[in-house]
Amino acid sequence: MRFGFKTLAAAMTVALTTAFVASDASADAKYTVAYLARSQRDSFAAWLANSIVKQAAKFPDITLTVFDGQSRNEVMQSNIENAVQNKFDLIIIQPYDPAIQLGPVKEAMGQGMKFVAANPKFPDDSIPYVDANPYQQGGENAKLGLKQIPQNAQVVVLMGPPGNPHSDGRREAWQKEFFDKRPDVKILDQQVANWNKDEGLRLMEDWIQAHPKIVAVISMNDNMASGAIEAVKASGGKVHPLVYGVDGTAEACLLIKDGLMTSTTLQNANDLAAKSVTMAHDILTGAKPDLHQMIQAKLYTKDNVDECIDLHKSIGDIK
Amino acid sequence: MNDDVARSAVRQTPRVHRLRGLWSNASNQYSIFIILVIMIVISSFMSPAFLSVHNFANISRQISITTILAFGETLLIIGGMLDLSCGSVMALAGLMAVLVYKATGVGAIAMVAGVATGVLANYANGILVTTFRLPPFIATLAMLTSARGAALLLTRGQPVYQLGDFVVWGQGAILGVPTPILFVIVVAVLTWYILNHTRLGRYIFAIGGNQEAARASGIAINRIKLQAYLINGAFVGLAGGLYMSRVNAGLPDAGTGFELDALTSSIIGGVSFSGGIGTATGTLAGAFIVGFLGNIMNLLGIQSYVQQVIKGGIIALAVAYDIASKSHRTRKILGDSPTGEAGRGTKT
Repeated sequence: MRFGFKTLAAAMTVALTTAFVASDASADAKYTVAYLARSQRDSFAAWLANSIVKQAAKFPDITLTVFDGQSRNEVMQSNIENAVQNKFDLIIIQPYDPAIQLGPVKEAMGQGMKFVAANPKFPDDSIPYVDANPYQQGGENAKLGLKQIPQNAQVVVLMGPPGNPHSDGRREAWQKEFFDKRPDVKILDQQVANWNKDEGLRLMEDWIQAHPKIVAVISMNDNMASGAIEAVKASGGKVHPLVYGVDGTAEACLLIKDGLMTSTTLQNANDLAAKSVTMAHDILTGAKPDLHQMIQAKLYTKDNVDECIDLHKSIGDIK
Repeated sequence: MNDDVARSAVRQTPRVHRLRGLWSNASNQYSIFIILVIMIVISSFMSPAFLSVHNFANISRQISITTILAFGETLLIIGGMLDLSCGSVMALAGLMAVLVYKATGVGAIAMVAGVATGVLANYANGILVTTFRLPPFIATLAMLTSARGAALLLTRGQPVYQLGDFVVWGQGAILGVPTPILFVIVVAVLTWYILNHTRLGRYIFAIGGNQEAARASGIAINRIKLQAYLINGAFVGLAGGLYMSRVNAGLPDAGTGFELDALTSSIIGGVSFSGGIGTATGTLAGAFIVGFLGNIMNLLGIQSYVQQVIKGGIIALAVAYDIASKSHRTRKILGDSPTGEAGRGTKT
């Protein structure tokens, strides 16, 4: 078959033009803001991105465009450079690796670009931020664990991506608030599960084989914890561990309600988004906002998890 | 000179000579399975938790998804093609299955929807490769990106929870055998049958071995390639539904990197990237080798960074041994035995 290159070229031109026109729908907005998401794939990052879009819609003088960092540092850097080139008025950025994105951000600031960092912050307080405190997120669970985990317990630990500041911060909290105070507790194994449910599932399946007496699963996020819980369910009653997570995802709230998970701390993306977009608007309009803002992490257990479930119902995550 | 050597060998160690011949034949034909057995033996000594029915069931469940994908890759690679999009299409198909289940409450319909999605995506792959003559690498690379985008679009990047009874597909068991394992067996038998007992399988080998010769002998190249992609699509769609039900969530970011795992299992199992060579049983063995590796290192509590280093090294060793065994066999057939014994070919 002879291939119609002309036809394809024409189709691509139409498609790209349509996309360009559609994206320029709010050309009359006063300020253009770029939101550079670290990813639009993991559930929390997707929740934050969706929330940022909803919050931006409340400001008629802002046009927001979302760019996906795909969990890759080089893509994050390209997105920063492209936003500068395209003369956005301000960038809200959710860094993938703050230490690596710091350089391009400072360079862009030197060229006059304004920034707001959203979860996590940069290791440089000259860059305004809204963040959640990973130490507090892990620490609330760790303090609960102090009361619940019995003497001489054997536990396993699930970590996020290597070097991730939230994973490391939460782990630091568990170390200081729990393990340093409870030398009787033994860590059977600690592995990286990259925030992923299926990796948590696979690790827990193998751990149940190797260590029949796991008393607690300490996970740096809810996704990995829920994967471990699937393995617990499939073990047919071999183990009944306490399971601690972070993020307050819809799934975690439901698992706590069902008694399969012990606790989580909510990292409320709605709060992060509201404060980030408001800070961005204030900066653009010349108001003087507090440039360093933290959201609080709330601990949810079986006693108060209905509140978390209601939150997720209100945003449509739970039907 | 060669006769003197041969007579000397027979005179001195007839039994050893016969045993060495038997071992040589066995290792050439079944090298990958020998590696598998050696791994089982060594792992059994390294961890008391390894050699148990529960652990083997565990491993089989864990590798079930990528093994099903690997069988699809096997068919394609033998035919001189490949599929880089299977991870993304698996996610899209699995999500479709989940959403259909949410709408209908019927698991079978949901799984059919997943399979249909996989077939549709691979129909596109096949058309790009056959009609538009894109290299399979490029065509399926494009589908990798598009399918992932479609999966994320479907749910705005958010997972779908509360799968209810749909989980029985990936977490259930029939007569004590986990359902994912049953599906692997079905797909394995199907792949073996296609490759060994159907005209389609013969044509796939022929196209992979020498496409121009296959064309000259009257084989409808494009039709066969398209059929191979459609079968691969069915496997990918099935894997998607099983995966989501196993993890009890519709995850739009699922399957990232699964194409590499599937390719690894195929290649370790003896499938050749040059086309025309491969077996279903080899792919199954390759999948188990990869699965055993991960499992024994988790049982031993080896740190994840170290695991990756070791995994890469052992995979390279396993493939090198397999290639060396095949090369030795080829040299023997051609009459060039490295042991100095009399060969069957021309005397030098």
